Amino acid sequence: GVTLRPDVYGDRGLQIYYNVSDNKTWEGLVTTLRTFLTAYTPAAQHLNINCTSDTYFIQDTFDGPNKTKLSCKFTSDMLQNCSGITDPTFGFPEGKPCFIIKMNRIIKFFPGNGTAPRVDCTYVGDESRPLEVDYYPVNGTFNLHYFPYYGKKSQPSYSNPLVAVKFLNITRNVEVKIVCKIIGAGITFDNVHDPYEGKVEFKLKIED
Amino acid sequence: IQDDHKLSTLELEEKYGTSINKGLSSARAAEILARDGPNSLTPPKATPEIVKFLKQMVGGFSILLWIGAVFSWISFGIQLAQGAESPFDNLYLGVVLALVVILTGIFAYYQEAKSTNIMASFSKMIPQQALVIRDAEKKELSADQLVVGDIVEIKGGDRIPADIRLIFSQGCKVDNSSLTGESEPQPRSCDFTHENPLETRNIAFYSTTCVEGTATGIVINTGDRTVIGRIASLASRVGNEKTPIAIEIEHFVYLVAGVAISIGVLFFIISVSMRYKILDSIIFLIGIIVANVPEGLLATVTVSLSLTAKRMAKKNCLVKNLEAVETLGSTSIICSDKTGTLTQNRMTVAHLWFDNQIYSADTSEDQTTQPFDQSSPSWTALSKIVTLCNRAEFRPGQENFPIMKRVVVGDASETALLKFAEVILGDVMNIRARNKKVAEIPFNSTNKFQLSIHETDDPNDKRFLLVMKGAPERILERCSTIMINGKEEPLDSEKAEAFQTAYMELGGMGERVLGFCHLYLPENEFPDTYPFDTDSMNFPTSNLCFVGLLSMIDPPRSTVPDAVSKCRSAGIKVIMVTGDHPITAKAIAKSVGIISATSETVEDIAKRLNIPVEQVNRREATAAVVNGMELKDMSLQQLDEILCNHSEIVFARTSPQQKLVIVEGCQRQGAVVAVTGDGVNDSPALKKADIGIAMGIAGSDAAKNAADMVLLDDNFASIVTGVEEGRLIFDNLKKTIAYTLTKNIAELCPFLIYIIASIPMPIGTITILFIDLGTDIIPSVALAYEKAESDIMNRRPRNKKKDRLVNEQLAVYSYLQIGIMQSVGAFVTYFTVYAEQGFLPSTLLGVRVDWENNAINDFEDSYGQEWTKYQRMYLQWTGYTAFFVSITIQQVADLIIRKTRRNSIFQQGLFRNKVIWVGIFSQIGIALILTYGLGHVTALNFTPLRFQYWFVAVPFAVLIWVYDEVRKLFIRRYPGSWWDKNMYY
Repeated sequence: GVTLRPDVYGDRGLQIYYNVSDNKTWEGLVTTLRTFLTAYTPAAQHLNINCTSDTYFIQDTFDGPNKTKLSCKFTSDMLQNCSGITDPTFGFPEGKPCFIIKMNRIIKFFPGNGTAPRVDCTYVGDESRPLEVDYYPVNGTFNLHYFPYYGKKSQPSYSNPLVAVKFLNITRNVEVKIVCKIIGAGITFDNVHDPYEGKVEFKLKIED
Repeated sequence: IQDDHKLSTLELEEKYGTSINKGLSSARAAEILARDGPNSLTPPKATPEIVKFLKQMVGGFSILLWIGAVFSWISFGIQLAQGAESPFDNLYLGVVLALVVILTGIFAYYQEAKSTNIMASFSKMIPQQALVIRDAEKKELSADQLVVGDIVEIKGGDRIPADIRLIFSQGCKVDNSSLTGESEPQPRSCDFTHENPLETRNIAFYSTTCVEGTATGIVINTGDRTVIGRIASLASRVGNEKTPIAIEIEHFVYLVAGVAISIGVLFFIISVSMRYKILDSIIFLIGIIVANVPEGLLATVTVSLSLTAKRMAKKNCLVKNLEAVETLGSTSIICSDKTGTLTQNRMTVAHLWFDNQIYSADTSEDQTTQPFDQSSPSWTALSKIVTLCNRAEFRPGQENFPIMKRVVVGDASETALLKFAEVILGDVMNIRARNKKVAEIPFNSTNKFQLSIHETDDPNDKRFLLVMKGAPERILERCSTIMINGKEEPLDSEKAEAFQTAYMELGGMGERVLGFCHLYLPENEFPDTYPFDTDSMNFPTSNLCFVGLLSMIDPPRSTVPDAVSKCRSAGIKVIMVTGDHPITAKAIAKSVGIISATSETVEDIAKRLNIPVEQVNRREATAAVVNGMELKDMSLQQLDEILCNHSEIVFARTSPQQKLVIVEGCQRQGAVVAVTGDGVNDSPALKKADIGIAMGIAGSDAAKNAADMVLLDDNFASIVTGVEEGRLIFDNLKKTIAYTLTKNIAELCPFLIYIIASIPMPIGTITILFIDLGTDIIPSVALAYEKAESDIMNRRPRNKKKDRLVNEQLAVYSYLQIGIMQSVGAFVTYFTVYAEQGFLPSTLLGVRVDWENNAINDFEDSYGQEWTKYQRMYLQWTGYTAFFVSITIQQVADLIIRKTRRNSIFQQGLFRNKVIWVGIFSQIGIALILTYGLGHVTALNFTPLRFQYWFVAVPFAVLIWVYDEVRKLFIRRYPGSWWDKNMYY
């Protein structure tokens, strides 16, 4: 499963509507992101180790404290322009909003078959229409060293890796439908019954 | 009341505007036909098919299901208006519920129509023809075209086509038994003999038959205006009472519906006060109703009843109304006809008296020899008289048939004698040919004898032999000698005394006695050219030689005594109701055991003690023979007293109308009454009875129409096999219902726990329907094939008020004991599946709101994994499937324990009822198809379950079986104990 922050659900799934000139309409969205990222402050992540390898972080032994396994650190600064540090409003007032994409934890899941899975956002139905997106971290990848997940008891301080997307050329006053897929071996996004498997779809409308 | 019987021919011609020679003109006849309608009985008003159909749609549980469907549609409407995500689920549920009602309704309707059709074929007879004079020509017309004033001709063998006033008759006799119950053919002439049109000889009635002779008459009544028509319409006014099984099923429906509604409303209130949305509460209510209502049960009951009906039809009981199958089983009194039902309906020689000794003859249906001593020369003489002094003849071309089955032309006594002689001597016709008949005086009511004179077959003996038979006292008057051991001896007073004793004894047995005598005419006085003249009687008819007596009776069917004793041990009182003479009736009653060998009537006691009848203590007499004349003057209390105080009752000389009085009397005692009947006049009694049984062979159409059951072989013993089947189906329906109700708890608990504990829904409403209408159907029908646990004919008929189909014990044991065990087993499976998938039971409690929230797509489980909404739903469906599978597995155990209520399954045998195995395999087969075959159809909410989950409930299935074995063991060990009273259902 793939989820999106901020997550505002309407009758038919995710719907993010706001007005750039009315800060009441986007303050809530920004707060959601900020709250979500509190779990990724260096303080919150201090138990986790810095990982540099770009391969799966396979642990057969319990090397962490209290017979646990280690987890890699993921801090919000890795999201650069969408970290809320440089731009506390995440680009919402400028009409270039940041969204955070998260993959659901699945125990002993090795996504990508050795290649880091990455996020790819397009318009729904019209994939040729250019959607200008900035991905953070670069290329919008989930580094392989966050995988596999060994479960709540083994990795009590584990936090999901994130990818932030910043949409740069959203036409104002028009509802657009965007889908962000996770591309990688072993990840499917064509289950007709489950709209959140391997992808997240949402409607976005920026008014001014 | 008409007075046509009093009118002269001319007056009749005038009254009806007809002519005896020319008949009506076709034009006039057509006019009258248009005025009066066709000459046929209006069939009883049938309920319109559409009404019957609609009744099936609203009866039983249908109302509850309709309510469920309507609620579903309402919540669909509301959800649609609110723009919710998946409102169509409720639309589908409503449609499914409606379909269930409609389909079970159609099924029940079809079943009912099928059994009605069997009957319809009965009443459809070959169109009757009548020979009519119209336009001065004789014409064959269909009988329903007859009109008042038509001149019709009838001959022996015809059915009388309308009520007719005879204007010409030659030796005409009619069989009025269907109208009055009299079995003797009645002579008919043109003479006005009685004020009462029913008694006078010059009227013949519609639907009676002309036995012999010919007659011509004027039609005076047609169709419903005939005497029969008026009785038939009377019968249709006697109300139909509800059958006992219908009452039981109604009771059961109320019970279950009561439980469903109370639990539903209770939990509706609970869920509202727990701050569930009203809409959600309504959806819970639907679920609770669906879980509580055994949707397939009523169809199952119908199938079980029709299976039994089929089985009974094989045993010659054709059931018209399915519910009558069980009514027969609860019968406590059978009012049976005598002639044809208890007896073989043919005169048979029962006793002989010659050489001062009484011999008994074999009266069984398939006799081929006679065992009595035939060495005496007196027998040789007697047999010769029997053979020669007899006008009856076999119809030709029947040589290959058994003698008893051959058709004979002649009256009942002569037929009996002919067959008797044929059995012993063989080829009677040949003997008669060798002893050429030279003169004959047929029987007539004035001289009461029959006489014939023959040449002998001994070429050396040129004498003529005069043989005579007739009323014994008249024959004896004409004799001066009597044959003893082949020798003629003078008939002194001692020998006459012996004759009297024998005659009284045979007559006392209710038998019709005939005397036989002969005389060899001296050769010198009667040379072979002697001109015998029967008018002047130029030969001796006195001073003959008495040879012997033969007595005849319509003997009981050989299977009847056994059947009566079966009834007796089954606590069923058999009452004989007959139009016959009390002595004959009593004799037959004694010989079949309706009056047992040791019991006495008031008259018997009076005779034994030699005191007047009035002084006898009526309580001492267990048997009673009540004459129709006495019955007429009796008050209802007196009749009740007789029915109450005597266990063995015979009603003799009763008219068919009195049958109705007797039936009502029995019903006042609280008995379930079965009545047999064949005549049109019986139809009110047949209707009034709890179960009316018409005779298939002798029965009239009106009787068959009024009856609930038709006895194809007219045999009383078939009724008893019917009773046995009826009792068995009652027991088996108990088992079926117990089986079906058990799983209701396992279907209901999920909803209750879901509401209270807010766990993910354990089972879906659609899934429940798949159990109720899928896996459970064949097994519950299979229980109808279960054999009886003990001799069901050794216990008393069930008490209508006390022995309910569904009693407290059954409900408590099924719901609260086995049902709870099943629920536990199913929940264990449910929690196992969730735990193995990541949700430990503790995390499930109170999780409902988040679980069902579409906006949560990273729902965390006990292991830290995250689930999207659809993944959770899929898991929920897997839970449904697991719950479904474990109910199915446990229902297999439930099925096996329900085979018996008291006996161990080892006593009953696992393999005697093969259909149970069909049931078990179908159950598992359907479950396999649903999970693996249809597991990918999302709408059905089944998923291909991991195979190991099938076995989680197996220990619980074993537990259920062991528990029930222990229950049965204690019931058998400690009869009458607290356990027995509370655990036996």
